[in-house]
Amino acid sequence: MTQAALANALGVSRQTMNSIEKGKFDPSLPLAFKVARLFKCRIEDVFIDDEPNV
Amino acid sequence: MNVSEHCNELTERSKVSTKRLAKWTGLWLLSLATLTFGPMYIWDYHTSLTLLALVANLVIGVKMIWVNKQHLDGLDELQQRIMLEAATFSLGITMIAGAAYGVLDAIKLISFQPNPSALLFVMGISYIVGTLLSRRKYL
Repeated sequence: MTQAALANALGVSRQTMNSIEKGKFDPSLPLAFKVARLFKCRIEDVFIDDEPNV
Repeated sequence: MNVSEHCNELTERSKVSTKRLAKWTGLWLLSLATLTFGPMYIWDYHTSLTLLALVANLVIGVKMIWVNKQHLDGLDELQQRIMLEAATFSLGITMIAGAAYGVLDAIKLISFQPNPSALLFVMGISYIVGTLLSRRKYL
């Protein structure tokens, strides 16, 4: 699936999808759920928390 | 609905709202020009006509704000973030510049009365700069 097709399927621009992929922008929870639903997996399988555990 | 239809819907919605915003911004500018130059060059300071032009300018201004809000609502979340950061930057710069510019006359650094409309230029330019900075940060 191309970046443009993924962006279109999620209802965002290709630039936004690119920014999320590069880790420059954190998506909202609803958008993260959409991504997970699209790939039929859990949110934590797609997005990894890079904050150190407290 | 397939991917292509969704893409077309998103692009089409954005195009329509941008055109609509441009139309209302143009109308507002036209009404401002009418309010500014009408009393002087067209109706010789007739109070009723000037009041009518003022009301028209304010009503069109409110509509322009509403259309702008609709335009922002139609953007995706990163585009909205970029616009929010640009607006925040512009508001801060305009406030600082406006406060300093307002006292320049009183502290005798300039010899003319400060014109508040000059702040519109500061606001516009700082909004563009804010947009470019945010785009560089996220895109």
